[in-house]
Amino acid sequence: MLLAEVQYARPSTLEDAVRLLGAHDGARALAGGQTLTNVMKARAAAPDVLVDLNDLAELREVSSGAGLEIGAMLTLTELIRSSDVEAGRPILAEVASQIADVQVRNRGTIGGNICSNDPTNHLPPLMVALGATMTIRGADGERTVDAGDFFLGVYMTAVGPGELLTRITIPAVGDARDGFASVTIGQDGTCIVNAAASVQDGQARIALGCVDAVPVLLTTAPDEAAVRQAVQSASLDPPSDVHASAEYRRHLAEVVAVRALAEASS
Amino acid sequence: MIEPVRGLRISVEVNGESHERDVEVRRLLVHFIRDDLSLTGTHVGCDTGNCGACTVIVDGVAVKSCMMLAVQADGSKIETVEGLARNGELHPLQQAFSSFHALQCGYCTPGMLMSAKHLLDNNPEPTDGEITRAIQGNICRCTGYVNIVEAIAAAAKGEVK
Amino acid sequence: MSETTVTPDKPITVDEQEVAPGFIGQNTPRKEDRRLVQGEGVFVDDVRRHGMAYVHFVRSPYAHAAITRIDVSKATELDGVYGTLIGEEVAAETDPFFQIAPPPGGDLKDYALAVGRVRHVGEPVVAVAAATRELARDAAELVEVDYEPLEVVLDMERASDSATTQLHDEVPNNTIWQGNFDYGDYDAALAEADKVVRIKRLHFHRFSSTPLETSGAMVEYNRGTGQWTIHSNNQFPGFAIIMMAPALKVGMDKLRFVSQDIGGGFGNKICTHPQLVAMCLMARKLKRAVNWTEWRTDQHTANSHGNERLFLDVEVPVRSDGTMLGFKARMIDDCGAYTRYEPLGCIIWAQVTPGCYRWRNVRVDFSQVCTNKSPCGPNRGYSRMQHLWFTERIIDIVAQQLEIDPVEIRKRNYIRAEEMPYETPNGCVYDSGDYARCLDEALKLVDYPSIEQKRADAKSRGKLLGVGIGSTLDSGTNNFGQSTLVNPELQFSGNNEVATVKLDIFGEIVVTLGTTPQGQSHETTAAQVVAGILKVSPDDVNVRAGHDSYWNSHAGFSGTYASQFAVTGLGAVKGATDMLAGQILQIGAAVLGAESTDEVELDGGFVKRKDNPEAALPFMACGAIVNANNAVLPLELREITLNCRYVYVPPHQMPDKERKFGNLTLTYATQIHACVVEVDPETGVYEIVDYGAVDDCGVRINPQIVEGQVQGATAQAIGAATHEIFTYDEDGNLLTPNFYDYHVPHALDMPPLKTAYVESPSPFTPLGAKGMGEGGGAGLSAVASALQDALRGSGGPIVSDSSNPYNTVWDLLRKPEVSRELVEVEER
Repeated sequence: MLLAEVQYARPSTLEDAVRLLGAHDGARALAGGQTLTNVMKARAAAPDVLVDLNDLAELREVSSGAGLEIGAMLTLTELIRSSDVEAGRPILAEVASQIADVQVRNRGTIGGNICSNDPTNHLPPLMVALGATMTIRGADGERTVDAGDFFLGVYMTAVGPGELLTRITIPAVGDARDGFASVTIGQDGTCIVNAAASVQDGQARIALGCVDAVPVLLTTAPDEAAVRQAVQSASLDPPSDVHASAEYRRHLAEVVAVRALAEASS
Repeated sequence: MIEPVRGLRISVEVNGESHERDVEVRRLLVHFIRDDLSLTGTHVGCDTGNCGACTVIVDGVAVKSCMMLAVQADGSKIETVEGLARNGELHPLQQAFSSFHALQCGYCTPGMLMSAKHLLDNNPEPTDGEITRAIQGNICRCTGYVNIVEAIAAAAKGEVK
Repeated sequence: MSETTVTPDKPITVDEQEVAPGFIGQNTPRKEDRRLVQGEGVFVDDVRRHGMAYVHFVRSPYAHAAITRIDVSKATELDGVYGTLIGEEVAAETDPFFQIAPPPGGDLKDYALAVGRVRHVGEPVVAVAAATRELARDAAELVEVDYEPLEVVLDMERASDSATTQLHDEVPNNTIWQGNFDYGDYDAALAEADKVVRIKRLHFHRFSSTPLETSGAMVEYNRGTGQWTIHSNNQFPGFAIIMMAPALKVGMDKLRFVSQDIGGGFGNKICTHPQLVAMCLMARKLKRAVNWTEWRTDQHTANSHGNERLFLDVEVPVRSDGTMLGFKARMIDDCGAYTRYEPLGCIIWAQVTPGCYRWRNVRVDFSQVCTNKSPCGPNRGYSRMQHLWFTERIIDIVAQQLEIDPVEIRKRNYIRAEEMPYETPNGCVYDSGDYARCLDEALKLVDYPSIEQKRADAKSRGKLLGVGIGSTLDSGTNNFGQSTLVNPELQFSGNNEVATVKLDIFGEIVVTLGTTPQGQSHETTAAQVVAGILKVSPDDVNVRAGHDSYWNSHAGFSGTYASQFAVTGLGAVKGATDMLAGQILQIGAAVLGAESTDEVELDGGFVKRKDNPEAALPFMACGAIVNANNAVLPLELREITLNCRYVYVPPHQMPDKERKFGNLTLTYATQIHACVVEVDPETGVYEIVDYGAVDDCGVRINPQIVEGQVQGATAQAIGAATHEIFTYDEDGNLLTPNFYDYHVPHALDMPPLKTAYVESPSPFTPLGAKGMGEGGGAGLSAVASALQDALRGSGGPIVSDSSNPYNTVWDLLRKPEVSRELVEVEER
């Protein structure tokens, strides 16, 4: 419950944030704190320096252009309330409103949820299904990484030491139709399994969460039989834990994949 | 160019009163409120940010103060349960909680009240569903939530017995 | 949650009852609320002292291990660290805690810190005290402890095998206690039966009510007087003092327990005496006040769990018409690593041996084993909840096997209202109740006649609907003599609670209670009783908030536990107030020139002559006369103090140790719940779509408060039935050590919850009220029952576990034959 000693800086420019993250080996970005503080309470991780991103106004912007550009520090509440998001890709708001509770959503950020990449998080599979692009800023400048290459392992993403996720680009919805389905521990609780679906141009992209270290992407024809076949062929090897056996998760993965597709198709 | 520090002198305004304190970076906001400012109405009920007993309002936003560092509240306006009553007059929410028996042991109550206040500050005519969602982040082991929802609904309508 | 409670307009009373006196039956506003809604309650962590040290416990990472080395030197070198405490010191300065079990179970050694060996993950090994919380935590990391892991014992069925490692050297086969219970004539019942239903195995899982406020203490030691003052949220100071004083080798009076507000207890704040002794030793050693805050993870891992219980080789002889003649079972109870309140659980279930039912022939082989899991404590519903779940499972399983309607079979077998008071096969006396009536009301709440239609509607949406019933009894006001049935050498029996009521110098009415409420509204209900007798408003009655064993009256059994306040606490309040009323009348009669107290009466804060109400003496004058002006009183009245202490003692008798027979509890409140679930057959995910809870706790002192208890207990039962489970990995690590993994109901998880009340007054209690508050166990049964009903058409699986998370339901759906194999019916 009590944190180890740690240092802290709250930069007011992106440049300074990147510099600070690069200057200290044990530096971690502090976004909403809804995950990191608990990790530190449990002493499961002990960063040397926390770089607080909450003063970086440029990371809180949303704009619609070719796609939806969402600043990584946009809180989940701001995401839900954003008229750009509502118009541009409403599935984002729909999924964000299922995350935990009001207090968590008031501080938790889209970037934080994505970068923590807990396998039970809601947003990573959604990013993969939507084909999002992440913009990462480092000392050498900016680079973009597609969602499919962004999630590398449990709690691990393409954001390296000294780098920062600055924004997420969601393709314009166009004629895409999106869906999301999950089985959770209690209402709005932690996901046991989840699936995000996006159907466009006669193809379904279905990203499964909770079944592996990173979201598992399946691309199939947008019909139930094809989805079931794809899930079965994926030879999923999900974890077993107190909430679900591996077998149950594997079964649920198929169910939520179909349901996510159904929501997308409706 | 700023450099990392282990501690900071922070200024916060809590329930309209200003405070300046030196704090270690690692001190959680909830412990700062309870231990440094001696405002013990805000409670700690868990260690994973799930229970909401520590809920306060920071710059108009309901947050779980166990998941913020005190240094992050530097320059902020904080509302805690101690600021709800004015001149001995209970806030309508407080009155409603009592009238509708929405508290038993009272431990979750401060956090519950702050979540409720945040709801009514932003949504003066909530549905029962919206009320329930607003307190989803506040665990109560005593009441089963039934009376809490009723109390908040009554306070919203100004129907406090 | 679309519906709120629905209560009938007036309480339904079973018997004719004269109008309740005074404020009984009124929803008097709570006195506790004003401070609590303002955050001005005083919970234990709110109590501060200048220079106070903060204690952090270094806890065992192993479930079972020998401690080979402890080195605190690096920790004590840290700036701001005041000192440490290790097991060796504890063993030198204290005696092991008194044990309830007879030998050999009672020979085990339990100390404030692990001595030489750890027996569950999270067991405190070293205490570290420092200037701040964070420093104490940092210092704990510098403490070095070496362990030699030992075999971990987690399987309660295997725990007593001779090959299994012993947890305690003194306790062979890890068996704390074993006893046989034989009532009626089971063999005759078997012979008479038309059918015998055999159930191989039923399992009641480990969980607890996890109060939101964790345990804690702030302890000070007065070196001049040797007095410890223990500010703590322990909810049974009577028991704590009895356990701690001999361990600390001091007189009982050297331990002063103080509490004001407690954030929920539910039985989980009873067995904290080990940590409190460690704190006492630290306070004395460090010469400063010490604070301990239990973290959530500590509470789940190492505080107290509800008992886990197995019911094996269950046998139920029945007649073809569904009349149940008795039952036989082998029961194994897992009490975890240490026996703090155990093995009382081995007898407490016998308060409700037949549950709500009329079977007369019972044979039980009951044993309790220790394992490398968290020690158990008397969690809400203690030991009765496990047993009542067992009886309800039997009813449903027999009903399903014999194809008898679950409502019919209950009505056929329920004890009837006209049979009350009813003596059970082992001599307990159920005071009153109308179970069939309560069941009817519960079924009304869920619109039972419409169930089949709802089932069809659900089916059209691809869902399986089921309705279930849970019937339980909340037995209250223990006869501690039942402890002699587990250990004949014990010198405990009866029960008591104390209250004082006085008129202060200016006539102020002041009440102190021996209890330690954690939300049960004692201040308010006590004021209602006092106000009714003294004929004043509850607003005029000042009830001291909280408990202080120094100035509160208290006795050996003082505290708040076991559903007894309405009987014992309020019984004491009534007794003290009756005494006070009598004294006030005497003063009034004397001063007003009346011949006797028959000529005067109390009214609105005055003593008045009945023949001339203008002749009135205010309470203020009474108080002033007795305290400051007593020469005006005739000599014979100078013994009046207007300061009355009353000890309520229930009319318990010593039970018969040989036969394990006797009345073990004074009152029995009834809970009959009905639950409707919808199961998604594709996933096993289910939702409770309707819920009705009927409670009969006799005369309700404050109906709104009773309703709050019913709602809260139901929420806990639903949580336990669905997601709450304390489960371990093979190394003895608890997999649900916090609220992230141990999911309790949040607001969105609550079903539409409707309640109704029947009042069957108790003939045995001062107010006709019964204790209540633990009755939520009915929800565990109602949910299990509803699930089994929902799955009837899917291969008829048997719900055999009290824990039914989605994965379990899916397994039942997928492989119904596995659970069906647990049950067989023998035709005779």
